Amino acid sequence: MNPTGKKMVVVVDCCVGCHACEIACRQENNLTHETGSKWCRVITVKPRKAGDGLRADYLPTLCLHCDEPLCLQSCPAGAITKRADGLVLVDAERCDGCRLCVCACPYGAMSFNEVTQAAGKCNFCLERSESGIEPSCVQHCLGGALRYVGTEELDEITRGKHTAFFGRVCYVSSLWKLFSPSNNERRQK
Amino acid sequence: MPEKVCTRCGTSWTVPKKLEAILDESRTDRPGQYDGLLSLCPSCRPQAFGERTIGAELQKVPRRWPTPRRRREERKPVKTDPRSGATVYKSQCYICNSGCDAIVFEKNGKVIKVEGDPSSPITKGTLCCKGLASREQLYHRDRILYPMKRIGQRGEGRWQRISWDEALDMTARRFKQIEEQYGPDSIVLATGTKRGTWADYVMRFANAWGKQWTSTGWAQCAIPRLSAGGMVLGGPAAECPDFSETSCILVWGANPPNNWPHQAVHMMDAWSRGVPMIVVDPELRETSSKADIWLQLRPGTDAALGLGFINVIISEGLYDKTFVEKWCTGFDELKARAAEYDLDKVERITWVPKAKIREAARLYATSKPACMMHSVGIEQNADTISSCLTTVMLPALTGNLDIPGGNLYPMFQGMRGRDDLSYTLKHLITPEREKRILGSSEYPLLSSSECVLYPTAHNSTLWAAMLEEKPYPVKGIYIHGTHLAVNVADTRQVTAALGSLEFIVVVDILMNPTAELADILLPAATWLERDEVACHIQASYNAIQIGQAVVRQGECRSNYAIMNDLAKRLGVERMFPPESDEPFFDFMLGNTGLTWKTLKEKGGHTFPDVFRKYEKNGFNTPSGKVELANSKMKRLEVDPLPVYREPSESPVSTPEVARDYPLIITTGGRLSMYRHSEGRNIGILRELMPHPLMSIHPATARGLDIRDGDEVVVETPRGRMEARANLTEGIHPGVVQLPSHWSGMSNVNLVMHNEHCAPLVGSTQLRCQLCRVMRKRGHQE
Repeated sequence: MNPTGKKMVVVVDCCVGCHACEIACRQENNLTHETGSKWCRVITVKPRKAGDGLRADYLPTLCLHCDEPLCLQSCPAGAITKRADGLVLVDAERCDGCRLCVCACPYGAMSFNEVTQAAGKCNFCLERSESGIEPSCVQHCLGGALRYVGTEELDEITRGKHTAFFGRVCYVSSLWKLFSPSNNERRQK
Repeated sequence: MPEKVCTRCGTSWTVPKKLEAILDESRTDRPGQYDGLLSLCPSCRPQAFGERTIGAELQKVPRRWPTPRRRREERKPVKTDPRSGATVYKSQCYICNSGCDAIVFEKNGKVIKVEGDPSSPITKGTLCCKGLASREQLYHRDRILYPMKRIGQRGEGRWQRISWDEALDMTARRFKQIEEQYGPDSIVLATGTKRGTWADYVMRFANAWGKQWTSTGWAQCAIPRLSAGGMVLGGPAAECPDFSETSCILVWGANPPNNWPHQAVHMMDAWSRGVPMIVVDPELRETSSKADIWLQLRPGTDAALGLGFINVIISEGLYDKTFVEKWCTGFDELKARAAEYDLDKVERITWVPKAKIREAARLYATSKPACMMHSVGIEQNADTISSCLTTVMLPALTGNLDIPGGNLYPMFQGMRGRDDLSYTLKHLITPEREKRILGSSEYPLLSSSECVLYPTAHNSTLWAAMLEEKPYPVKGIYIHGTHLAVNVADTRQVTAALGSLEFIVVVDILMNPTAELADILLPAATWLERDEVACHIQASYNAIQIGQAVVRQGECRSNYAIMNDLAKRLGVERMFPPESDEPFFDFMLGNTGLTWKTLKEKGGHTFPDVFRKYEKNGFNTPSGKVELANSKMKRLEVDPLPVYREPSESPVSTPEVARDYPLIITTGGRLSMYRHSEGRNIGILRELMPHPLMSIHPATARGLDIRDGDEVVVETPRGRMEARANLTEGIHPGVVQLPSHWSGMSNVNLVMHNEHCAPLVGSTQLRCQLCRVMRKRGHQE
């Protein structure tokens, strides 16, 4: 069990596009260049007109640990499980390398490792968090955009802000009315 | 099986039947949730997801975020990691010159991981992507691991491994021969950015040996800022912004998330608290995208904008009258000068709307405390001393000097630094020798004893001397840690100059096009393989940090050991024994009460904060005050006040050139994944930026039939280079940002001139030349 039941918060405002999280992740999870595998990616939303000026944004994307994970549904080998605390985990030992999950994940979060020939993805640095240490991306985030937090801190961060909740990840911004399917449903009602 | 084509990139892939069924079902369950994403190939999905999440509805609510609760640990020089069983060494990352605290995990003689140091108040436990990839450099296949001598033609790439003794003996013998044949000035030394204390040690070596040395970057990075700071403020306070309790941030020509990571942490923590930020940058990028006020200036016009700021601050009476009256001289002279730069004129020169300049200057001047960060962006124009004079004056005029939340004077009490003669041996440069330093008469603030640090030969003057043997022949060079074949303007001249030499020694970590020119190659240690004791303002304003050798690859040696051993064979005195770096470290720490041993046990040392140090000692200028019209420039019989000088090549100064080359170049915008020319051979970093990208406005690109990602050719009257187009609204339609520090045909220095260097310091005008751009011929699609 994840003893903390924490969620990953991405403060979109604070991401400076430095890619420290990406490389921290690759080092921590041994995702060398040869593996061709990335569990965390920083994307750039190029400058475009918004309000009275131009805005550019950066944000990390990683596994959202969906409530109804398509990767899990697609896996014929039963290698993907969702735990009671919400974490979606891949058992690389049981993975048969069919890559169905890579096709199935709408977020591009599932990544095939060319060296181990198994699928893999972000597990919020399970081994670290079990020892009470934050995920490596969170430790190294220069802008303080990535935060791995409990309920109380989550409330403190999101209060009065725009949020988009997905599984175990919450994007939050003071600028953009963020989109998530549940926000959308709410708006449509 | 159904074939799908990505609606974004056009890649096609097959979707197994079984999966189609699952996806169909989920589509029905949650209409609209996945559709847009599942029609893309998996590698396009993260980008699409990010864009979809941000959306297009801007609705601002107050920006105030709780400060990240970062893990803090006790500082220990060595400990054991309970999870991996690895030994963890406290060290200092020198993948670039920011000097971030880092910890290194070693197991069974191998470095298994490098992380930020959670005990560090400097980095707050973070580390940038380059630092986190340090292990990739350590174990890189292109490491130079053994001393080698060239056996084929120069540049052919054929080497023979030799012993250290043979390599150093041969080097000493060849240098002595050259000296005998061509005279004492025929040998020069060269080095690059400061990765610990050793870069300054190159200068000690040069002075002890009686040779001149050249710094690849000083004239266009560091010396203009430090000179202006020294002359006006009596020290480098402008280099040390204190973000901790500031209430306004001004960033000028800097992009710390990309190249000054620990400063970015403090800057962003302040910004997250809601502190307003003003950013001066020609392009909307990492830092400028966070700005509350972004001033998009025409490249090269920083001095005019700075004078505009000063004009507003003085004419509107927003300066700190008490501080200025008590602690500043030359105010009336500055006031008169600034009055010549009314905002109409400044807007005309800089292209920045005057209302924005006024708003920014008012915000900075009326927030207290406010801090200012400036950097290399203002050091590559037609008059870099002027642009830096304007920025260093801002904290003084507004009374933000040496107060919490302002700009601080560094304090390394007792630690020997670059201003200590017993360390630098600057006093060994006799007036006769000084005259022979290349550039000393034309660029006194760079190449004579007037230099704020220690004189360095001026780059392009040196290349010309090598090629023309005037005023004397230069025939040998000792290159310690710099990539001259890429990193200096006019690559053709530089490589021709190096090619004309009789003997080249290169000390480096990895093979590169400069190392390929060597006659002798010497393997240097990476930061993971060497001890270091360092305190410098790029790392911290009040800490002595340590580096610890954790492993050793091949026969690499510490930088000190290499120089000391060579010095011994050359008969050069006043250097340290090559066997151990400890006596040198103890010498550096001599007046602090610390030794290398005790410092290592503590894992570093931090001096307590002392503010307003000037109240006790005055300012370190001839008058003891902040000199707004400084006495040093007066003594040099030049205009002591900042002035705007139009770039030597621009639509204004050379309209005839602009007819054929209509776009203004800015270049040198730093990237997070590379440090100057370094890092492109590290796979996981290269994936982040596989190609050199030129930023160009979509409207300009449309007129040139250039689409995003197209291969393009950039031409200047000097030559051509190649890049790929990055279409961005974030750059002015009349400006392009050229990628820098790439090699081969993408080397920007193939198109940049190094003429008409800035007065007094000889900076190259890299941020204000002209070019034209076209789609690469024969390039389809």
